[in-house]
This record gives sequence, structure tokens and C-alpha cells, in this order.
Amino acid sequence: MYHLQFILNGLIAGSVYALFAVGLTMTYGIFRFINFAHGELIAWGAYGLLWFSGPLLGLPLIWAALPAIALTICIALAADKLVYAPLRHQDRITLLIASIGLSFFLRSLLQLVFGAELMTYGREAGRGWEIAGLYVTGVQAGMGITAVAFLAGLYLLLTRTLLGKALRAVSDNMELAGIMGLPMHRVNRTVWLLSALFAAVGGMLLGLDTSLDPFMGLANLVKAFAAVLLGGAGNVWGALLGGLFIGITENLSVAFIDPGYKDFVAFAVIIAMLLFRPQGIFALTRGEVR
Amino acid sequence: MNYLLHTLVMVMIYVVLAQSMNLQLGYAGLYNLGHVAFFGIGAYTSALIAMAGWPEELGMAVAMLVAGGCGALVAFPVLRLTGDFFGIATLAFAEMAYIFFLNERWLTNGPMGLPGIPRPQWIGQELTALPLYLLMALLLTVAAHLGLRRLVKSPFGRALKVVREDEQVARALGKNVLALKIKAVAVGTGLAGLAGALWAHYVTYISPADFTLQTTILILLCVVLGGKGSLHGPILGAIIVIFFQEGLRFLPIPADLNRFVAPIQGMVFGLALIVLMRKRPSGIWPEHRRKKN
Repeated sequence: MYHLQFILNGLIAGSVYALFAVGLTMTYGIFRFINFAHGELIAWGAYGLLWFSGPLLGLPLIWAALPAIALTICIALAADKLVYAPLRHQDRITLLIASIGLSFFLRSLLQLVFGAELMTYGREAGRGWEIAGLYVTGVQAGMGITAVAFLAGLYLLLTRTLLGKALRAVSDNMELAGIMGLPMHRVNRTVWLLSALFAAVGGMLLGLDTSLDPFMGLANLVKAFAAVLLGGAGNVWGALLGGLFIGITENLSVAFIDPGYKDFVAFAVIIAMLLFRPQGIFALTRGEVR
Repeated sequence: MNYLLHTLVMVMIYVVLAQSMNLQLGYAGLYNLGHVAFFGIGAYTSALIAMAGWPEELGMAVAMLVAGGCGALVAFPVLRLTGDFFGIATLAFAEMAYIFFLNERWLTNGPMGLPGIPRPQWIGQELTALPLYLLMALLLTVAAHLGLRRLVKSPFGRALKVVREDEQVARALGKNVLALKIKAVAVGTGLAGLAGALWAHYVTYISPADFTLQTTILILLCVVLGGKGSLHGPILGAIIVIFFQEGLRFLPIPADLNRFVAPIQGMVFGLALIVLMRKRPSGIWPEHRRKKN
């Protein structure tokens, strides 16, 4: 029972990591570079909610989520237009360094506006329910449900719509998809939109469960990396499973090792994956690894 | 006067750091995003040896060896990976090192850090000893620079550049690509360890919070601002970046606005990286025959 509780907590945390990871892996699949600024989209989503629900508009949390998501999407689209699109044909080091610069810029801006201290949404810790000996808080249940709803929506989008088909085609082979006349601009915009949406939603859920600080993006970016690597870079479903796996191992590890080393697990997974199976565990086919 | 001396010591330390990253990023084309870990390993090693009563000079030498050894150990398995994945693996390593510094209290005193790190005997512990410390830093920096210069102008340096441009070509020429890369990383991380030791004995207090990704990004900025792959570029980059960073302390900023200084500095650094990549990816002192791609 003791361990089952950790697994449940891990599943819920992991579903949020999965939200981060699918966005990161989608941008990797299409643009072939690792977007370091993805973590900052997570943090901006979370702080956006704080801003719109607090001093700025005083909206209730659930309604404040909409402008917060819109803000995050605007940041992602602006980043694409101003930073990534002009550099698309440069070498990969250039793009990577630019995304590191962008992430540093966005994080410092967050610190400038909100300060470096820990913050919360000021909600009272709700009472939880006990089901079959397992304890779940209201926020945790909300996190799980929201994450599942969004991931199911993504599944439907990717498999049932023409746009989803185009996305998968571009991720498979960008040049060929372009030759076949797919609207690349629209596909690019959609990828940024989706990845910002998922990052923002995940960031808010995380902020509701724990607290907000300007470095939250960076910490979760590394976990998202780990999930992406587990799933095989560019593989959306792999990233989802990878996120769940990281969440569960991390929470379960607390039962065996010093809790101070909890974050160690994600990093150890990254190194182990890179060493032994760089194409990812959940990769169905041997993906190209570069 | 003391501020100027302080800034100059910091410049020396960052010159060594920038040069050591440049050897990996500029010459070998490996982006080590965990560079700060080796800076930290050097700082802790040297500090612990000195605090155990051994001579500080020994500490510095051991710091170099330990950091370089760790670098080689990390590099050996992960160098099979190219490009972005090497960056992620080293980034993960740096985060692991940070968590290690934070949690192993018996060794590193955890989040409280190590206070009272002694300076070398012949320099003395007082503030007036600053010029002497600067002299030592200068000598070590010049030595590191001359060593690197010799290295990159040798056949080894030329082979590294071939690896950077095209590994297949290097292999076809009969070069052992893996060995070349490991040597580059070992020398680079060893020098980062030296910089860490120099820094630890200078500030006399270190804590895990000093060794975060921020520092790696600052070093990265020094390198790309100066010009990656150029011998003198990173020196220029380090001078500009550190004078900008430390120079802000002289500005008469009201106390209640102080909390805005660091974030604005961060925004400027981040923006500088983006603008550089868009307008001048080869830096202000570019490597000479850099082909346009």
C-alpha cells in the first residue's frame, strides 16, 4: 500500500511531465533542434495564471487560465518569428545557443516582474479523498483529469483530422511534405501553438500543486528532456509514456533513497538512456539519431 | 582601486573558463552545457585539500587533475553521441553534480557552503594581498593561454578542427576521432577546474548556489561574443562581459531598485546571445578562415 501511494503520486506527476514532453518532442520532430526555451513557456503559463487571477484582472482561477494560455502562445509564436524562423537554415549550434539566450531572457524577465521568491496561487490546501487506502487531493485529481483530457484531445487531433495528418507527415519528412504542397507555415504555427498550450497547462497544474518560482521552467525542462529521450526524440506517444515513467520512478525512488536525491533520478535516466538506448525505449522503429 | 583589482581577478578567472570552453565548443565543436560542474569540482577539491591543511598550490594542481579526470570519465561514454545529445548529457551531469554538492554534507557542508577557504601562504589572507593574488591569477592565466595556444597550433589542434567540420573526413584521414574529442574535453575541463580553484581561494567562501546553469551561460556568452574557435576572441569576450557585469556595481542605483539589477543583467545577456546568433554568429573577433555556411 505504501508503495502504491507513491506510484499513484508518480502517475499524476508523470501526466504533467507528459504534457511538457509532448510539446518538446513535437518541436524537435518538426524543427530538429532542442528548444531550450520550452521550460520558460511552462513558467510563463504558471505565472500568467497568477497575474491574471491576481492583481491584473482579479479573475477566478479557471477563467484566468484562458488569457494565461493566450499569453504563452503569443510568446511562442513571437519567439518563432523573431528568433527561430530567421535562423532555421543556420547550423544547429547557432539555433541551440539562440534558444539558450531566449530562455535566459524570458526567465530574467519573469524575475524582473515577479521577483525571485516562491509564490503560490493563495488557494487553501483542499481536503482530499481516501479511496481504497490511497489518498488523493482535489488538486491532484484535477491534474490527472486535465492532463488526460488534453492528451486525449491531442490524440484525436493527430489521428482524426487532416491537420494532424499534415503534422505527422511533416515530422516524418519535412522536405517531402513541402514538395507535396502541405501548408508549411500553418503546420509550423500549429506546432508552436500546441507546444505552448501544453506547456502552459502543465505549468499551471504544477503551480497549483506546489509553488511557483522563476526557475521552475528549467527544472521541469530537464525532466521533459528525460521523457523525450525515453520515448525516442520526435515520438509523441513515446514522450507521453516517458513522462509517466519519469514521474513514477521519481516518486517511487523516495521510498528507497534520500529524498534530497529525488531529482537525481531524472538525470540518471537521461545519462543511462543516452548511453544504452539513444533511440529511446518506446521507439517502435529504430529512429534516426543525430 | 580595490574594485578594479577585484574585477581584474574575475576577468582572469573567466578568461580561463572561456578558453577552456572554447577548446571544446570552438575547436572540437562539442557543446559542454555542464561546464560549470567542472568549475565546481575544481573549487571544492582545492578548497577541501587546503582546509585539510595541505598546501594551497597542491590543492590547485589536484583540482585540475580531478576536474580533468571527471571530464574524461564523463566524456568517454557520452561522446558516442553527437550534437544536441552531448549537450543534454553534460547538462544532466552538471545538475547531478549540483545535487551532490547540496546533499553530501559530510564532504561539502551542503547548502551552507564552505567558509574560510585559505589563500596561499605567500599571498596572505588580508584584503591588502589583492595585488599579489591578481599577479598569481595573471601568471596562471597566461600560462593556460600559452599552453592552449601551443596545443591548438599543433597538429592536434588542426585535427580537432577537422573533427568539428566533418567527422567522416577526420576518420578517412586516419584520425582517432574519439581519442581527439576525449583529450579536448579532458584538457578543457581540467582548465575549468583550475579556474574553480582560483575562484575558491579568491572568494574564500563557496556554496552549491554558485555552480548553476547561469554560470555556464555566462561562460558561453564570453565565448560566442568573442568568437568561438578563435584564439583571442574569448579573452576579449570575457573582458567585455565581466566588466559589464562588475561595472554595474559602480552605478549609483538606489537601494530599493537593487533587486531589478540582476534580472535586467540577465535579460541583456540573453538578448546579447540572440542578437549575436542572428547578426554575427562568429563573434567580434572571428576565427580567420571561417567558411560561410
